[in-house]
Amino acid sequence: MFRTTRRKAAAGAVLAAAALALTACSSTTSLPGDENEADATAETNSVFADAPVASDDLILPGSTMEKIKERGTLIVAEALDAPLLSQQNPTDPDSVEGFDADLAKLLAIYILGEPNVEIVPPATETREAMLQNDTVDVVFNTYTITPERAEQVSFAGPYFESGLAVAVKSDNDEIKGIDDLDGKEVIVGANTPAVTAVPEQVPTANVTAFATDPAAVQALLQGRGEAYVQDYTLLASNAANDPSLKVVGTPFTKEPYGIGLKHDDAEFKSFINDWLLAIQESGHWAEAWKTTLGTVTDSDVPTAPEIGSVPGS
Amino acid sequence: MNPLIDNLGLVLEALGTTLLMAVVAGVGSIVLGVLVTVARVSPIRALRVAAFGYVQFFINVPLLALLLLAVFALPDAGLMLPLTPTAIIVLIVYEAAYVAEAVRSGVNTVAVGQLEASRALGLTLAQSLRLVVLPQALRAVVQPIGNVMIALAMNTALAAAVGVVELTAAVNKINLVAAQPILIFSSAGVIYMGIALAIGLAAGRVERKVAIVR
Repeated sequence: MFRTTRRKAAAGAVLAAAALALTACSSTTSLPGDENEADATAETNSVFADAPVASDDLILPGSTMEKIKERGTLIVAEALDAPLLSQQNPTDPDSVEGFDADLAKLLAIYILGEPNVEIVPPATETREAMLQNDTVDVVFNTYTITPERAEQVSFAGPYFESGLAVAVKSDNDEIKGIDDLDGKEVIVGANTPAVTAVPEQVPTANVTAFATDPAAVQALLQGRGEAYVQDYTLLASNAANDPSLKVVGTPFTKEPYGIGLKHDDAEFKSFINDWLLAIQESGHWAEAWKTTLGTVTDSDVPTAPEIGSVPGS
Repeated sequence: MNPLIDNLGLVLEALGTTLLMAVVAGVGSIVLGVLVTVARVSPIRALRVAAFGYVQFFINVPLLALLLLAVFALPDAGLMLPLTPTAIIVLIVYEAAYVAEAVRSGVNTVAVGQLEASRALGLTLAQSLRLVVLPQALRAVVQPIGNVMIALAMNTALAAAVGVVELTAAVNKINLVAAQPILIFSSAGVIYMGIALAIGLAAGRVERKVAIVR
């Protein structure tokens, strides 16, 4: 199951090594989670305490839910390298932390009564195929709902709404937002919505895509581009950890993230939508946000987007 | 409808980059590989050791690691080149190690008597290598070098990871919108297959053309 992502994993390993070597000799940058390692476990547990569990009559006979319940694990496609969303803990490889990861566990609790999740690291390139050939049950992978994708897979949700923003080096006072990127070298993450969104907004920008977020940040700091366009929350987290980088302007797109499901599984889709409403009502959604994405912004818990409110969901 | 056909302009441009990388790196790696082989069979011990170390290093370090080091570590050492030239240079030094191994096996097919005869005729060592040994060695290894070139063409795809917009990167980008990975990546696979087939057939033709009857 790791085969498709071996390259990415290797890339990550090398970069991590390079990054370690660099930070070791250049600065005193603290790693995310350094200070609150001790109370992290307690925090995570509060996310799952009293999480809603589906009553037996909701697990329809012959449905995907029943299949998952019989198997005893929920198979989820989610990243291992997305900070705050779904990141493997470097000191404890069994633990994957973040907003997507917590929601996946909450869904597993809803179906199975316990957070039994088997993670298949997705190649972002093959999420649709993994759903179509039953490799995974659901995809939690900052999966933006689009009408084109909705022709191949179904989306429950949206469960979260984010947007793309612009980051620059701290000493750059020239770029104040997306409108200042005319004719500039712009870095984006490969396989992120920015790949298509930046040329749409600023046709004259020269876009270079790097495979991972650490690679893109490194490229920005080394001057391969003047700006880095990426999900606002991810940038905020990067900027919080690294003072040589800052976020400018406000998000310029709306990215509704959905839960990818096999196409035309209407039963499973409405089951998951009901679950989303349940965790929003019980406060577990807000709790998951507060302990993950919420740790890098000062803003209040956002309102969860309305289920089915975007084309394709 | 195949999304690759809907984005034909982008695909062709990216295919151009892939072919450019493959051709430039191919020629470069053959030249460098032959030079490394010459060093490897030279009578000077230091050169032999250096060539041996070179080949062992590049055969044992993964190409992706080299690409990432060249793109992200060299700028910290004060050396920053644009992405595509960086990728081409890394491909040249990496594949040259494989070319060198192939050519060395060709050198071994040249009988010792040939070298002895050329020295007896008064050719210098450089002359005997250039006029007697290498021409015969290269003729013997056309097909293996063809295989190295095919591997090189496939390896250009790794450059997508460091921001070069070649075929794989372009196909990724198209899939991001169209979301039909199986169709899109199989189509890209067919294109790569075409490249490999073309190199293989060309190598076969060259081999027949330069074959020597011993």
